[in-house]
Amino acid sequence: MEQLQNKVAELFEKGTISMMIGFQNAIGKGAVPCFLDSASQVKLLIYNDLCKNNLAVYLHKPEVKEAKKIGIISNVATLRSILQLLSENQLWSLELTIMTFNSAHELIVFESIKDVEHYVQANFPELTDEEKELIEKINAMSRQERWEYWKDLYSTCIKCYACRAVCPMCYCPQCTVECNQPQWIKVTAETSGNMEWHTMRAMHLAGRCINCGECGRICPVGIPVHLLTAKMNLDIKKEFGAQTGFSSSNSYALNTYNPNDKEGFIR
Amino acid sequence: METKLLKSSDIATLFDNLIKSGKVVIAPVAKKSGKVFFERVVSYDQIETDYIQTQFSAKSVVFPKVEELFTYKKTEEGIEIKDTLSQIPETVVWGLRPCDSSAFDYISEFFLKENPDAYFARRKELTTLITISCADADDACFCTSVDLNPGSTAGSDILLTKMGGEYYVEVVTEKGKAIIEKSANLFVDSPIKSKDEFLAKLKTQFSLEEIKEKIKTAYDNAQWKHESMGCYGCGACAFACPTCTCFDIQDESNGDEGSRKRCWDACGLSLFTKHNSGHNPRKNQTERRRQRLMHKFKYSVENLGIVSCVGCGRCIRVCPAHLNIFENILNVTKE
Repeated sequence: MEQLQNKVAELFEKGTISMMIGFQNAIGKGAVPCFLDSASQVKLLIYNDLCKNNLAVYLHKPEVKEAKKIGIISNVATLRSILQLLSENQLWSLELTIMTFNSAHELIVFESIKDVEHYVQANFPELTDEEKELIEKINAMSRQERWEYWKDLYSTCIKCYACRAVCPMCYCPQCTVECNQPQWIKVTAETSGNMEWHTMRAMHLAGRCINCGECGRICPVGIPVHLLTAKMNLDIKKEFGAQTGFSSSNSYALNTYNPNDKEGFIR
Repeated sequence: METKLLKSSDIATLFDNLIKSGKVVIAPVAKKSGKVFFERVVSYDQIETDYIQTQFSAKSVVFPKVEELFTYKKTEEGIEIKDTLSQIPETVVWGLRPCDSSAFDYISEFFLKENPDAYFARRKELTTLITISCADADDACFCTSVDLNPGSTAGSDILLTKMGGEYYVEVVTEKGKAIIEKSANLFVDSPIKSKDEFLAKLKTQFSLEEIKEKIKTAYDNAQWKHESMGCYGCGACAFACPTCTCFDIQDESNGDEGSRKRCWDACGLSLFTKHNSGHNPRKNQTERRRQRLMHKFKYSVENLGIVSCVGCGRCIRVCPAHLNIFENILNVTKE
């Protein structure tokens, strides 16, 4: 931990960063995201297996944008989110100092985005066995069975929008569900409105989601919300060969035309 | 208050008698995820008995996540409006914790004190709360800090406390008495007993009197920002909370007919205070989180004379960022 704390203190003193996004201890279960603005607070910083949150989502926060020079401790999912956000031109106003701990628990401070890309590509994650199993289960279902499966799950959704709130790719200043003139999507947390919300969300994330699984992990109701986008990512990889969070210049599979695309309709 | 004893082996019979009475029975049920939720059940073997706290509170029984208030239909004679009051069923909530039942006292004040809410009043009138004292607590529990305890009877109709092979039964209200009378053969009278040795032990995090005093001047404390920066701005804490009562009213129409619905809302969501003009008086998440916490410990005291946090710890357990309400409160009231 000292390694991280000393490095962050040094970055503050040199003026390289004016805010550090990391983790601090929380009572009970693990780690809570924290935001430091001076070297005097670095003793708060921790990093261990409990630091699961994808901190990249905070890069959209107005207070963070204002601080501009940002240090961020990342796991692979956070790094992939950063690459995806760079592809989508979302981080242009920030000066990022990106850090991670490698598998040997050594602190790495990335010199450039190219280095982040190499690191991510060398450590590209696979779906977990549990996720694979669930996706296989869904693949084996008929359309009707799938509809019933999701309907059943989504009927319990309470529309707290935690899935949206933790998602680094959900950065619209005004979400469709917040447009109420007209009201596109029902406000009430009932099955039909819940299905509308989750379908809309999944479609907006298709080919952009980096599969960090954060939305499924934190859902207070326990709905595996990340499965829809994870499955669509597999389809997109299969159809277009595109992988999200792979480089900082990803093109968006769903709005990029390539003469080698399988579909003949455009030719 | 009458006190009685019930053999542990008779608890399923008592439960079955409730089901047979035709009332809707809501009880804790464990899901595959390991999380426990209140759900309608029809037999005792469906329910979970080993849990510290349910994921969500039982407030949905009197304040559902979506409640249809009335339906309307345009006919040749005019507009036909039907309210849904007559459809509210008699309900028993089984196995809620003392913190939860005490929360019913607060939400009743909120909905009934001024301009009583007919729907809430009807649901409350038809609901009986059978509470079970806590033998265990976790790091998120802090009821003793808000002047409750794992065996408080506040808000309950009946409180059951497991003491070895039997349950000590405190019959708190007339509604509770009516339930006991229907299964009178299962109970024997008992002298008043001390429950302490059978109750969960928890650390008291703060002195409520001190917090109530100090939070009066905490509004401008710069610490709020540090405490709230991690807040993602979702509504999980408010929806899991047994005392959060904010709601939204929605009209859902389909041609010439439709309905008016009341659904949960949360002060943590950015749309909550947003004006039509686009102006938002609570412009950032720090202000929204401050509102939620100050409401619990200051505004509800000013408005209704009650601290509206019961220490159930749900907001801590569900928070995606692991924010901790008592830690936050302690930090913003430090000298």
